[in-house]
Amino acid sequence: MAEIVRKSSVDEILNHWILAGSCILLMITGFAFLFHMEAVASVFGGFNTMKEVHNWGGVVFTLSMLYSMRHYLKDAFEYDADDAQWFKVAGGYLSHKVKVPPMGKYNPGQKLYYLAVVGAGIAIALSGFAIWFMKDNGTIMLLAHLVHNVAFCIFVLAVPVHIYLGTLANPGTFKLMVSGTLPLEEAKRRYPKWMKAAGKM
Amino acid sequence: MANETKNRKGMMVTPELCIGCRACQVACKSWNQLPGTKTTNNGTYQNPPDLNSTAFNLIRYNEVPGQENPVRWLFVSRRCMHCEEAGCMTICPTGAIYRTADGAVAVNRDKCIGCKLCTNACPFDVPRYDAENKMTKCHQCSDRTAAGMLPACVKTCPTGALKYGDRDEMIKTAKSDGFKTIYGEQDLSGLGTVYAFKDEPKLYGMKENPTIPGSVVFWHTYLKPLSFIGLGGVVAAAAIHYLAIGPHKEKEEV
Repeated sequence: MAEIVRKSSVDEILNHWILAGSCILLMITGFAFLFHMEAVASVFGGFNTMKEVHNWGGVVFTLSMLYSMRHYLKDAFEYDADDAQWFKVAGGYLSHKVKVPPMGKYNPGQKLYYLAVVGAGIAIALSGFAIWFMKDNGTIMLLAHLVHNVAFCIFVLAVPVHIYLGTLANPGTFKLMVSGTLPLEEAKRRYPKWMKAAGKM
Repeated sequence: MANETKNRKGMMVTPELCIGCRACQVACKSWNQLPGTKTTNNGTYQNPPDLNSTAFNLIRYNEVPGQENPVRWLFVSRRCMHCEEAGCMTICPTGAIYRTADGAVAVNRDKCIGCKLCTNACPFDVPRYDAENKMTKCHQCSDRTAAGMLPACVKTCPTGALKYGDRDEMIKTAKSDGFKTIYGEQDLSGLGTVYAFKDEPKLYGMKENPTIPGSVVFWHTYLKPLSFIGLGGVVAAAAIHYLAIGPHKEKEEV
């Protein structure tokens, strides 16, 4: 029987889906606010209830985003020569003929995506709380409104890419965020530097 | 967005005709069933000191030192300007602030979520929030005008300092009556509350060159479309990538 290695811990997987669920909920309700989508608001029972869902969904998202740092933040800041080469070949996504350098646990695209989520996440959370609780300060309200929307644009552009790359573009990846485990042979092939560091290769 | 509303109705304020009786304030409270607010005397007839959630209009008692008289008393009606380019309406996240068929800017209480963004997008500091955290302001008595009646304040005004009617015609009349300055004719693509002045608007305590905050304009012009087009673009790019280049193939890498 093939040996199985664990890539994602149970709490990481759970937190990932809390983060993903709250993020998508916030994006849907955010879009509904941005474009006054009455039909979407009706699903929540009107704009007033949707506001509560959006606000408290934001609390869940913020906590989950902060918790995710213990899983990814350290890796997200470490880049090496292979990572630089990875960018040169665009991760092998633009052509199947190029040689993609060996990767660690995460490729630099994932690491940058995580930094974008944390950066835009902190910005959207802080500005969101400002809009929620600092209504009497006009300057802060307008600044927060702008920051909230800029960060929203970053999420709108980045999240679909993450979903695509985590599902259709890389068959087998989605399963990894459900079970958290994969066969050792597969891990050696896909994450050789991580396996070497773990002493399995 | 300039003058999109056809046959736009408006309010003409002529301070030179105003005697400062404040019947307009009373009529507004009467029609809109708004309670009075307790205030203290602070040395002016202006009362309440500014708009509040139960005072949709008020007369500003402007004391201006003049050449002939030691003081000139200018009574200026303050209320929502019903801007053609309304910052409050632009920023409102629920569409609670809307334009009536006559061109007034009104609020749907049920849709207001009390976010107070409109307060900050308004160039004239008009929106107020009531005890239920709903935005309130002058709606040009849209419930009366829709039934062919005059706004309560105009109906009650004894001197014609407040008029309601076809905006363009009222401006034309005011100009032919010799009023040099029409405040609000062009500002924000044309205000729904216009003022006929004999002197500079500054003298009457009016805001010069009112504008919607730049961040709101930027957000509305660029960020809103970017979020929508961006989402569509990214999804389309993913679909094209899947079809043209295809998913990652495990085997070839070994």
